[in-house]
Amino acid sequence: MAEVKVKQESPDPVKIENRIKELCQQFPHGITDQVIQNDMPLLEAQQRAMAINRLLSLGQLDLLRNSSGLLYRMKDAQTASKMKGSDNQEKLVYQVIEDAGNKGIWSRDIRYKSNLPLTEINKILKNLESKKLIKAVKSVAASKKKVYMLYNLQPDRSVTGGAWYSDQDFESEFVEVLNQQCFKFLQSKAEVARDSKQSPMVQRNSSFATSHEVWKYICELGISKVDLSMEDIETILNTLIYDGKVEMTIIAAKEGTVGSVDGQMKLYRGVNPIIQPTGLVKAPCGLCPVFDDCHEGGEISPSNCVYIAEWLEF
Amino acid sequence: MHQPNPTSCNNILSRKPCFAQMTAQEVRLCGLLLKEHFGEVVEKIGTHLLRGGAQNLRTIANETNTPLDLVKKSLCVLVQHGVCSFGSGRRGPGSPVEYQANCERVLRILRYPRYIYSAKTLYGDTGELIVEEVLQRGHMTMSNTVKTVADRLTHNMEEGRSMEYSEVVSAFSKLVETHFLQRCFTVDEAAPAAPSATPLSHGTQAAPASVAAPTAESNPDCYKLPPVTLIGRGKRRRSSDDAEEPRGGKKAKMDSESCGDEGIYWQMNFERFHQHFRDQAIISAVASKLDQTSSEIVRTMLRMSEVTTTPTAAYTQPLSANEIFRSLPPNYSISRPILDQYLSLLVDDPMEFVGRSGDSGGGIYVVNLHRALVNLARATLESVVQERFGSRSARIFRLLLRKRHLEQKQVEDFAMIPAKEAKDMLYTLLSENLVHLQEIPKTPDHAPSRTFYLYTVNQLPTARLLLQHCYKTVANLIERRLFETKENKRLLEKSQRIEAILASLQASGAEPEQLTEVEEMITAPERQQLEALRHHINKLDSTENQVDETIFLLESYICSTKTK
Repeated sequence: MAEVKVKQESPDPVKIENRIKELCQQFPHGITDQVIQNDMPLLEAQQRAMAINRLLSLGQLDLLRNSSGLLYRMKDAQTASKMKGSDNQEKLVYQVIEDAGNKGIWSRDIRYKSNLPLTEINKILKNLESKKLIKAVKSVAASKKKVYMLYNLQPDRSVTGGAWYSDQDFESEFVEVLNQQCFKFLQSKAEVARDSKQSPMVQRNSSFATSHEVWKYICELGISKVDLSMEDIETILNTLIYDGKVEMTIIAAKEGTVGSVDGQMKLYRGVNPIIQPTGLVKAPCGLCPVFDDCHEGGEISPSNCVYIAEWLEF
Repeated sequence: MHQPNPTSCNNILSRKPCFAQMTAQEVRLCGLLLKEHFGEVVEKIGTHLLRGGAQNLRTIANETNTPLDLVKKSLCVLVQHGVCSFGSGRRGPGSPVEYQANCERVLRILRYPRYIYSAKTLYGDTGELIVEEVLQRGHMTMSNTVKTVADRLTHNMEEGRSMEYSEVVSAFSKLVETHFLQRCFTVDEAAPAAPSATPLSHGTQAAPASVAAPTAESNPDCYKLPPVTLIGRGKRRRSSDDAEEPRGGKKAKMDSESCGDEGIYWQMNFERFHQHFRDQAIISAVASKLDQTSSEIVRTMLRMSEVTTTPTAAYTQPLSANEIFRSLPPNYSISRPILDQYLSLLVDDPMEFVGRSGDSGGGIYVVNLHRALVNLARATLESVVQERFGSRSARIFRLLLRKRHLEQKQVEDFAMIPAKEAKDMLYTLLSENLVHLQEIPKTPDHAPSRTFYLYTVNQLPTARLLLQHCYKTVANLIERRLFETKENKRLLEKSQRIEAILASLQASGAEPEQLTEVEEMITAPERQQLEALRHHINKLDSTENQVDETIFLLESYICSTKTK
């Protein structure tokens, strides 16, 4: 009897690739080498590796690494089409930028991550920008620094500076206006409370305003073109505290009451200063810019001081 | 008989020479004050003592090149006013007596107007004159004070009326009861041969001090009135008779023999006045921060603990709410629950004026004196920064006071000031030493790129710095005032001569034409100049008093941190 040779038919590479793709679709989080091996135990490691490499180069598979090893994931069809015209390097750069999310990434960091020379990077970046796949956003921290992010992403607050910056310029007048408005609101509330002539406890409690109330008031005033969140209003109220015009207390509030954050509410109240401007500043010497240079018998001295002379004429 | 002065903050009556640390500004200011009040000779001796610490008589005379008797007289004046004290020398008893000047005491001279004004508000004109006399003379007996004040008051009254001694005595005793006046304590040992008495004072003699140096307070009779009764009325001083006679001369000697209290001398208790000023500052701070009723409650609490709390205590005596309720002034009729509400509001206030220390008797409350002084000093510092550098710099300053240490970026973010301006303001404040930079290196080589730079404000050193600024400012104002007077000396002398001529003409009954002729000797522009000069001098004077208020707050704060 002749031995029947079982011809080991080499599996079709396309079929392997399709099978791998199906597996990827089955497990959208990604599949490991182990999974492919379990599914196709007859497949040799070399053929498996070849199939995976082909899929990778075709841009249909994403190679990721996690704590236990390598992961292969199905690439989004749409993005796959986008990158059709680009070569590997561009794809690499694009991936790096994508990973940076909405904080953006600096060109030098791209270079570190992709190990590509500077000229290449610049060319690729220009290319990607013209294809409208990425955009450059100026960071507010360092005005010369440009960070790159995907075209359709909103830049993060730390890059644009949030509500207080418009086009990299700090809007000081806007902040000033808000400052004054908040103070006026709190002051009038305190006055109303004082005139109400009720018992002192009630008076004091009614002179407080929660940050939520102030926020609502400012929104209704409509002086802001940008939407302001409650945290923004709280930063403005903090500057009022540093101006010495407002004081703050924190009370415990039930979860769910309007304006409470983590079971607490911040209350603000307008206050008066505890002393009048102090005596030293009523003398010209208290405000004198050349105070340290002034000596009797010197060029600047009390006897010939112009500031004192002017002040005496008042 | 002679009395050394009681100790104040710097202990000067120690047997070891104590070189009080004095800055150049303080010495300059002291010199100006001494010259204005006591003359150039005393100023020379006084500044020499201030600069050089404790010295004996010979050294002073040699180093200042003044004749010995002038030195003795100046020392008498200084000791009489409590500026200078004496003690046995470095080499133990038997070595020449050493004299030491007290800088703080000289700086008190600046505050005399404020003391006199407080006495006036508290005890009327009589109190004002009593305080004025005691301040002018340094030490006085009660009988002498009463007589002088009665005479002065009588002089200002209408013809035919005069001032009863008993009224003055009652004002005097009130001042003693509330501890504004205190006795100087006497020296027990008899003095060796001493220089002759000057006509001005009551026969001062240099004598070695007793071994242990007690304060005036440790004397149990410190606030006991002498058991003499003074009966009489003030005498109106006729311009014809004893106008030329010196006040404390033969006449005074005769009178003090007839009363029973020679040797019992009284002096101002400055600490008590300072306590009063401090209470006033706290009450007005509460009034502006909260409201009038709260400030009345705090005033009541402070009044109740006036004589029971030591001046340097950090808290008043604990007071129960019941006691406070009973002691409220009658025109402030608030109900008990309302009082409790006010008290709890005072306790909750972030400034912490009042603290709650127990629950018995309806709640035990104390006034936090130290905390109040800290807050007042802080407000003073903030006010100076605000007026000098603007409200945004003040914002940065307050921010740093609250948050202690911040980086440059954090300062910009919290204060919401654009980076460039914030940097500029921080550097200005840094150059004026109001803000300090703290370096925290990440690496041992302190490389600037790897170091944290934190801005911080320290309240106490900044307060000391501003205090020195205040001293310099007052000295500047005094010098300017003296300069203005000197510039217009000729004009002032002329106007004085004219006035004297006018007065004598009027007294001898002259024609109106003659008077106008004399008046016209001063031309109109000269009159204007005189008017302007008067205005300048008044302005400078009043500003000195205002700066002194700042000095008081800062000094009290620094003192209270020392003893804490």
